[in-house]
Amino acid sequence: MAESVTSAGELDTTGHSPRRWLWLLLGYLVAFGLIAVVWEGSKALFAIPDYKLPHLAQIAEAFFRPTPKGPTWLILIQDALYTAFEAFVGFTIGSVSGFLIAALFQRYVHVRRGFMPYVIASQTVPIIAVAPMIVVGTGSLGAPPWLSKSIIAAYLTFFPVVINVLRGLESVDRDALLLMRSYAATDNQIFRLLRLPASVPYLFTALKIAATASIIGAIIGELPVGSTRGIGVQIVVGSQYNTFNPGFLWATIIVAALLGMIAYGMVALAERRIVRWKRPES
Amino acid sequence: MAASDAPLPENGPTRQAFWNRPWVAPLLVFVLVLASWELLVMIFQPPTFLLPSPSLIWQSLAGQFLALMGYGFNTFMEALGGFVIGCGLGLLTAMLVARSKWLSDLLLPFAIASNSVPIVAMAPIAIVWFGIGPWSKVAIVAVMCFFPTMVSTVRGLTSASPDAIALMNSYAASNWQIFTKLRVPSALPFVFNALKICTAVSMIGAIVAEFFGGAVNYLGIYIKTQASILKTPDAWAAIVVACFYGLAFYFAIVLLERWLMPWHRHREQH
Repeated sequence: MAESVTSAGELDTTGHSPRRWLWLLLGYLVAFGLIAVVWEGSKALFAIPDYKLPHLAQIAEAFFRPTPKGPTWLILIQDALYTAFEAFVGFTIGSVSGFLIAALFQRYVHVRRGFMPYVIASQTVPIIAVAPMIVVGTGSLGAPPWLSKSIIAAYLTFFPVVINVLRGLESVDRDALLLMRSYAATDNQIFRLLRLPASVPYLFTALKIAATASIIGAIIGELPVGSTRGIGVQIVVGSQYNTFNPGFLWATIIVAALLGMIAYGMVALAERRIVRWKRPES
Repeated sequence: MAASDAPLPENGPTRQAFWNRPWVAPLLVFVLVLASWELLVMIFQPPTFLLPSPSLIWQSLAGQFLALMGYGFNTFMEALGGFVIGCGLGLLTAMLVARSKWLSDLLLPFAIASNSVPIVAMAPIAIVWFGIGPWSKVAIVAVMCFFPTMVSTVRGLTSASPDAIALMNSYAASNWQIFTKLRVPSALPFVFNALKICTAVSMIGAIVAEFFGGAVNYLGIYIKTQASILKTPDAWAAIVVACFYGLAFYFAIVLLERWLMPWHRHREQH
């Protein structure tokens, strides 16, 4: 993370001195203030209608507007939790299976040679477009509604985990590998003692990508007609009622954004706890 | 590899060499997967809307090939427009930001944090702003491409070794010379990494943004509509087309990279 963005000759104390923190904090406060000023200023200056850009107060008001089922913010949090649950199930399935597949690819070169090009190609290809079909298909089979969203989230988690974990498993020091071989270590021992630890930083790089991707996947899965719960549904509702309640659409999107950031932050936090020996660049 | 003194095989490639060629195993997998897919569908006969057979998808694709390629082209143009705007602004912003350490310290965390924001979810706002037509998709794609390009470019521009900068300074090189002769070349690999990621991001962004609404002659809306009326083979055919455009876009950028960075080709890792 804390890469030194040095210009020539300048000493970079990678950032924990209190003075630096104070400057950054000040910068953020100024930035947020600026955003608010630009937001309200351009609204007044260009007479932007509420349905395009509501007042910040309107967004805040939308959060606290009462509904038959409780205040709006409570409803939104419940929907966000539902989406988080869908994403978490998918994230877990996707990362576990991704890890296992990567280990398989590492061990069996032929399997890897056959499948790896497709794993890589899947990153450059918009296969996420199958999302509506997964939703419709599993729905018609009578599966619980969250399952299709979890499948999409698992799909988005799977590929970055395979690619990064494989890279990590292969990233072992050549000398260490030769040393273990010379002591007649078995493949399993080499895997457990050498490759597994080497792969963990790479795994977390993938998991951070996947954390947000799984939330996106769950939200995309909630878009097709027929979904009833989740923050994606609320976004669609918000866009339909935007002219009546212009703050609400923004409120739903703010909650979705926070959800993504919290998911990312939780993985980043776990990484700090677990990976103490090597920080990969983010 | 130190194998220069190894004798060359005399009778051309052996049987072993054939199986080790890089395209053999993937091709085998491709054929096997398609064949077993077709076979499984034949045996278990799941409803067509659930899992159509490859031959059925092929029929659908062949039957409306030109129309689908047209839809794909419309979606691709949205993706390309957003890609050009987003990556272009990302590059420009990065050049400005990289000049000041304070500014990049302030802005980079925001730009990195934006990775964790599901930007496609903002498509409804883009539709409110730019209408239901292609421009709302262009806008979303542009936002999605902006941040990764900016972050990578700032990293690239600041990746030149301080020694090299000091050397150029000692030869009284101007700031412009240092920029064009040192910072830009050392930034190019970072920039192209971002651009390659953005090709995928832009196609995905355009299609997913179309899920929120738009005209029928675009891939995302076509897929969503056909899926909802259970015409799954049509939707799969559209996805094949989307993959085609995605891959073509990706390889176009790879070609551009090879053309602009001929020195980099030999150093590529994988």
